[in-house]
Amino acid sequence: MAEASGVREAGADRRFASSLITVGSVILAVVAVAVLFAPLLSSWGPEEIDPLASLAPPGGAHPLGTDLNGMDVWSRVLHAARLDVGIAVAAVALAVVAGSLVGLVAGYRGGWADDVLMRVLDVFQAFPTFILALAVAALLGGGTANLVAVIALVNAPAYARLVRAEVRSIRELPFVEASLTSGSSFWGVLWRHVLPNSLTPVRVIAPLNCGWAMLTLAGLSFLGLGVPLPTAEWGAMISLGSGDVVAGRWWTSVPPGLFLLICVLGFSLLGEGLQERADSTRR
Amino acid sequence: MTLLSIEDLSVVIRRPGRRVAALSGVNLSVEPGEVVGLVGESGGGKSMVARSIVGLLPGGSRTSGRVMFDGADVLTMDAAELEAFRGHGAAICFQNPRGALSPTRTVGRQLVDRLVTHRSLAPAPAREVAAELFESVGIRSPRRRLDAYPHELSGGMAQRVMISLATGCAPGLLIADEPTTGLDVTLTREILNRFRLAANAERRGVLLISHDLASIAEVCDRVVVLYAGTVVESGPGPQVLHEPAHPYTRALLRSVPDIDGRPVTATPGAMPLLTEAPSSCPFAPRCAHATQLCTADLPVAGPLAMDWSAACFHPRSGPLDDSAEPPVPAEIPPAGTVPSAGTATSPGVKESVLRIEDAHVVYRSRFGGGGHHALRGVSLSVAAGERLGVVGESGCGKSTLARVMLGLVQPSRGRVEVAGQALAELRGARLRRLRTRAQLVFQDPIGSLSPRRTVQDAIGEPLRAAGVPAAERASRVARALERMELDPSILGRRPHELSGGQAQRVGIARALVGEPDLIVFDEPTSALDVTVQAQILKVIAEVSGDSSRGSVFISHDLATVRGFCDRVVVLYLGRIVEEGPVEEVFGNPGHPYTRALLSSAPSLGAGYGGPQVELTKDLEEADAAGGCALAPRCPFATDECGEQEQELRPYGASLVACRRAAEIPALIER
Repeated sequence: MAEASGVREAGADRRFASSLITVGSVILAVVAVAVLFAPLLSSWGPEEIDPLASLAPPGGAHPLGTDLNGMDVWSRVLHAARLDVGIAVAAVALAVVAGSLVGLVAGYRGGWADDVLMRVLDVFQAFPTFILALAVAALLGGGTANLVAVIALVNAPAYARLVRAEVRSIRELPFVEASLTSGSSFWGVLWRHVLPNSLTPVRVIAPLNCGWAMLTLAGLSFLGLGVPLPTAEWGAMISLGSGDVVAGRWWTSVPPGLFLLICVLGFSLLGEGLQERADSTRR
Repeated sequence: MTLLSIEDLSVVIRRPGRRVAALSGVNLSVEPGEVVGLVGESGGGKSMVARSIVGLLPGGSRTSGRVMFDGADVLTMDAAELEAFRGHGAAICFQNPRGALSPTRTVGRQLVDRLVTHRSLAPAPAREVAAELFESVGIRSPRRRLDAYPHELSGGMAQRVMISLATGCAPGLLIADEPTTGLDVTLTREILNRFRLAANAERRGVLLISHDLASIAEVCDRVVVLYAGTVVESGPGPQVLHEPAHPYTRALLRSVPDIDGRPVTATPGAMPLLTEAPSSCPFAPRCAHATQLCTADLPVAGPLAMDWSAACFHPRSGPLDDSAEPPVPAEIPPAGTVPSAGTATSPGVKESVLRIEDAHVVYRSRFGGGGHHALRGVSLSVAAGERLGVVGESGCGKSTLARVMLGLVQPSRGRVEVAGQALAELRGARLRRLRTRAQLVFQDPIGSLSPRRTVQDAIGEPLRAAGVPAAERASRVARALERMELDPSILGRRPHELSGGQAQRVGIARALVGEPDLIVFDEPTSALDVTVQAQILKVIAEVSGDSSRGSVFISHDLATVRGFCDRVVVLYLGRIVEEGPVEEVFGNPGHPYTRALLSSAPSLGAGYGGPQVELTKDLEEADAAGGCALAPRCPFATDECGEQEQELRPYGASLVACRRAAEIPALIER
């Protein structure tokens, strides 16, 4: 028996992809548990002040110590996950819906509608994402709803382009003509045939994007444009604690940073895994 | 001495969750100067044989047996030996020549590079050799073509470049994997003759792989038939093709429509995908002659005569057309005699379901200037119950015509009426309703179904668009499914879970379910395997027999059209050059182009009985300045032909757009 060599075995890619997906999903599952059971996992409320302990080191009643205001870091880190993950997921969902809709219409209609929509997107994409987010956030002011809108706005153009490119190739495929000859209306074809088939790349990008969205959110909060204190939020916590690090009080800013890192890692691994899997089935 | 000898070759491909026995105990040999045809349907293992020979098996393959080439076993070669062997020993011509040529380098450069690497020539003399090679494969003005990029070449030209690339380094063995798939009939013959020449001139061995028996029949010395990874029959070309012994070979040959108009016989079922080497005859479940022995034991290749063997317990004998054969599956009913010549000019009393008047279609190029004139004044009509065939080579406007019939393309001039109403005059919902009166069956059966929709959704779509309530929709879908002889269990499946034949039946069911007045079949069988093709042709013949409905059957293949059309239209460069009753057009063609098409059509039977006519140039070389579009390629053209536009005028029972149609029989005599 001779084994053909030289070509990488097709199964290896898929196995690699599934291990990425598994690790990413496990991380996100743990985060989800933290988000759901945050009040049960901590004995202090996120905004509850312990008047006897300010900047207390980890141990005793406060497993991760307390911050400048005497709030429990462990409790705040857990509760912040609710807000950070919630805003990121909501913003990406909004970006996917809005971006896909624009891309769908632009790609399928073509002509002037396409030109106008794409030039508008060009304007948004001409600025670096974070600068744009900063500008809009400064304009709208802080608050959860505004943050969702800002992060959705800066991410939507990418989805619009992605979907538009897919739609432009899909609309030339025979099944679209088949549907037209069946008497389907414009929106019927778009909704039943073009849309479901054009979302494949979106499914891959969206989890990755959730990770980036969390970083944008934390960045905005770090700069003071995010959620107002005393609401627990990782970026704001890092910002508040950043001065303590030089004084050797690492516990106020390192734990939120680590949690942020773990969450982003979870989303990235899941996204990478989905990408690998999509590539290996295409081959 | 034998050039290539494959002994007991087995290939098993293992993928996670999947295992395929691609080849099982294949024996095959090629002598120098011999052309061996390797035929069978997809999944039979043809390409796997080619890949084994050049050591290009896919990942996860396990092989056993031997592939002896010039005394060395290819399967045990290391990387360096394989590299040397691939250039000099064996070379492959691929199915898709334009895909196999690198798009960013000129074809001359690609050929010169090969000559420099494998024959150690200096670049300047290599260019000379390259020009000679181009000339030898029939490329006119070779020096100019050396500087062309692959996208500038037509499919036929690109395949010739591939042949020159493959023969350039003088390999002992030339492997051609479906070299003519996608090429027009006139080119197919020319390209296949190149392979015959390659074998004759330098005593090279040629292994010609094809699913199309009829076309390779003429150039092969020996034919090897594969089924489910096993060799079922091998022997001299004439015997295997005209009096095959194995029931599968016979089924295969009977499935092919022929221009002599003999009936096509469909064999039910499809080729199995084996996971283990077979322990019984793999064809037994589809075979009319199968006995208990066949399902219990594996037949080994037994010699029938010199060089002729078949792996069958009950080999057949006698010519294929022997009507004494048990009439297992149903035959496709021959074309009815509904309308006749009169309808060519006036649609008679029958209500016409489609009428096209002087349709022109120009595809404008995106950046202004020029454009492609796809249809140049086509007029035709189809009556209820009539079956119209439209034939022509690629680029003649067939598909555009289909799109015009369905209102998918608006003619830039002219008028299209479906069911008595003009498409151009309607908008919105009324246009959509009219569109449902005409339905299209697509060439690509799986691609014409939305990947994320189930079969149920796909078939029911015309009804949903028409606002039919869900309960009635389900019952009508079920009825359409039954008519297509499909099992209701496939309703929940998605397109990628269907075979090509099933998908095409679903496509026909979708076209049929709304009871349209007109069904247009756009090359409905060209993407299917031969035996499946016959099954689908049978279904189409049955469906198009409905007297309330008109059918248009578009094909590049004259033989399929002959099978069941009443009237035929021949298109050339966007114009109708000949139109008439099917028997007239095939039996007594008037236009030189029709004559040339018929002359070059491959046939296993009697073929085209009339005198042979060959066009003098390839399509891409002929620039029509004005007048008759065929004039630059026509062997009978005079100066006047290049000046006058030709109009359809009566010739026998047909209409022919050639001023010399009446003189041509006499001209051929001379």
